[in-house]
Amino acid sequence: MDVKLTENKRVDVLSPVSLKPRRKGFNVMPMVFIGPHLLLFALFFLIPIFFGVYISFTNWDLINTPEFVGLDNYKEILFNKESTFYTQLHTGLGNTFKFVIFTVPACIIIPLLLAAALHVKPRGSKVFQAIFYLPVLFSISAVMIIWSMMFNVSFGPINHYFDSAPNWLGTQPYAWVALVVVTVWWGIGGNMIIYQAALNGVSKDYYEAASLDGAGRIQKFFHITLPSIKNQLLFTVVITTIAQFNVYGQALMLTKGGPSGTTTVLLMYIRQNAFGSGQSIAGIGSAMAVILGLCIMVVSIIQFFLLREKK
Amino acid sequence: MNKRVRVIVSGFVLLVLLLSLGACSSKSSSGSAGGKNEIVFWNPFTGPDGKNMKAMVDAYNKTNPKYKVKNISLAEGDMYAKIPTVVNSKRNIPDLNIVHAERIKQFVDKDMLVPMDDYLSKYPDIKAENYIKAGWDIGSLNNKRYSVPLDVHSFVMYYNKDLVKKYAPNALDDNIVTYDEIKAAGAKAKKDKIIAMPVTWMKPTFLSVYSQMGGSITSDGTQPTLDTDKAADTLKLYNDMVKSGITNKDGQDAGQTFKSGKAIFYPEGIWMQNDVKTAKNLNWGMTNFPQLSDDKNKMVNWSSSHQFVLLKNPERDKKKTEGVMKFIDWVKDNSLPWAEAGQNPAALATLDNPDYQKMPQSFLVKDATEQKSLKIFDYKYNGYVSEQLDKIGNDTVFGKLDIHKALKSAQKTVEDKIAQDK
Repeated sequence: MDVKLTENKRVDVLSPVSLKPRRKGFNVMPMVFIGPHLLLFALFFLIPIFFGVYISFTNWDLINTPEFVGLDNYKEILFNKESTFYTQLHTGLGNTFKFVIFTVPACIIIPLLLAAALHVKPRGSKVFQAIFYLPVLFSISAVMIIWSMMFNVSFGPINHYFDSAPNWLGTQPYAWVALVVVTVWWGIGGNMIIYQAALNGVSKDYYEAASLDGAGRIQKFFHITLPSIKNQLLFTVVITTIAQFNVYGQALMLTKGGPSGTTTVLLMYIRQNAFGSGQSIAGIGSAMAVILGLCIMVVSIIQFFLLREKK
Repeated sequence: MNKRVRVIVSGFVLLVLLLSLGACSSKSSSGSAGGKNEIVFWNPFTGPDGKNMKAMVDAYNKTNPKYKVKNISLAEGDMYAKIPTVVNSKRNIPDLNIVHAERIKQFVDKDMLVPMDDYLSKYPDIKAENYIKAGWDIGSLNNKRYSVPLDVHSFVMYYNKDLVKKYAPNALDDNIVTYDEIKAAGAKAKKDKIIAMPVTWMKPTFLSVYSQMGGSITSDGTQPTLDTDKAADTLKLYNDMVKSGITNKDGQDAGQTFKSGKAIFYPEGIWMQNDVKTAKNLNWGMTNFPQLSDDKNKMVNWSSSHQFVLLKNPERDKKKTEGVMKFIDWVKDNSLPWAEAGQNPAALATLDNPDYQKMPQSFLVKDATEQKSLKIFDYKYNGYVSEQLDKIGNDTVFGKLDIHKALKSAQKTVEDKIAQDK
């Protein structure tokens, strides 16, 4: 401890503009830097979260004062098998999990392969990079409108050119296929850019050494590339999983939750309960949102645990 | 040096902070959203109809009223989500608001609306005789008047004149097309790959036919009645038509089918006529929604209505409220642009206008029997029912969902949601 302090002191003397504390006590400088973000974080994130959790313990129609009902909402959605809300939570959560399981692997593997391919710098790689990245820039509504036209039964190009006739958005399993294809297409760019940057950071020496030892391309990919970008992989797996858990727009606009509710994801039920066309049932909606939040948290922790660096 | 940099950095950060906070709170200093002489008017008209509403507001402001109207169009979903928030916070509450007729009962129940009776004495022309009955009646609750209608918009049926001549020459003689006539025309047209009628929006379709069968979505104003034989028959009527191949197939675009001349009939809202007009070479007309019987007195055309309401707002003083009423009174006599948006203005004064009389949707207002057929499905929990009908309508009709199971689950869902309203 003592040694460290003296080291700090020396640095302090040497550097002309030091932000290190000269005296013991509260240091204002870091607070000034993180202050604005902290404020916005509290305003638009922390306070709503606490408020949301509080609402989940109440019966509230958004108009009158929330009435505290304890754990009633949770009992209703978790244990009352007769209740509509129990069915909604279970169907919605089930469909959300299905969506996550279908999309996350594709959202990791496809961008990774594309990034690896672009890393070799083939002819026109910049053009392809731009093309792959482009969909990320579109808003979800634009993407979904374009794709609902693509999948249209009567005049959609997909059925026209492939000479097929399935009702993509209205029958299973096509509805799931459509949702996964669109989501992956839309999200390729974000992860791809991260992998590209990561790949640029891997030292060429490793590859040269591996070549000398007679390693093939595939061996190099699995023994050098993947371990080198492990942190970025972990980051994207967690971020992508969280993003896909929050699926809403795709299912809402493309399949409208159908056919027969098989693609109705939990957020759609939450939104309909809290802000539907009928009177608001905000308490139940909030309780469902809390459950969804807990699920995301648990899954993220498991992922961290499985993928973290073992020392 | 050191100190100076710190001061500069902190000063800068502080400035950004204050500026961003300032931006957040610039509006919250006054309780009402509008300025002193401004009526803030919220409406859900974001489509092409929004332009017509804006034109009306502009025209009103040109008459130099003491209180000018500030037109704010919000996406319907956003507007209905915002209303509870502003009412709760008592800040930025609009001075005047358009809401759908089906919401009024709920809003009155929640004590969100101000009755207009005290102000109406100064405007004797805002009275039942001057409005379409269905639109006017909805605003009267507990012997008080909570709203004044802007329009009554109905779900009717478009038809392709050439195809009607060919396959159903006598169907329109009485301006009522029955389901039997549609089925017969469909059977005739099948060999030419022309369909009788695509399945369109099932919510108004179901409500209209259910009501023609004598069914009602509620038994006593509170309890829903969706799981009934009549409801099953309604869905079965459509399911049978789908099975016999006289409708579109599941997923086929209904509007496109009609506009490209491949369907004889096309049930849609009167507000869709500007879209139908975009089809070139389409010789179309408008008639009543399909009926089970030829009897004019049994006719039902599903309708809804946009209504002017006053949300409770402590900041809106008496004079401003009078200014609001003046605007509503002006709209009564100047609704033509609203008819041009495809709607039927609720104020009967518009009927005197020859331009309006030429518009296809005016047939619903001209004739007293037609006016009687306009039915608004007024039920406190209408929103819950709508959501369920949107959910099961298409799936049951196209055979993806068992009719009885679907109705049972719809009934249960609505009941469970109502049970939460403690």
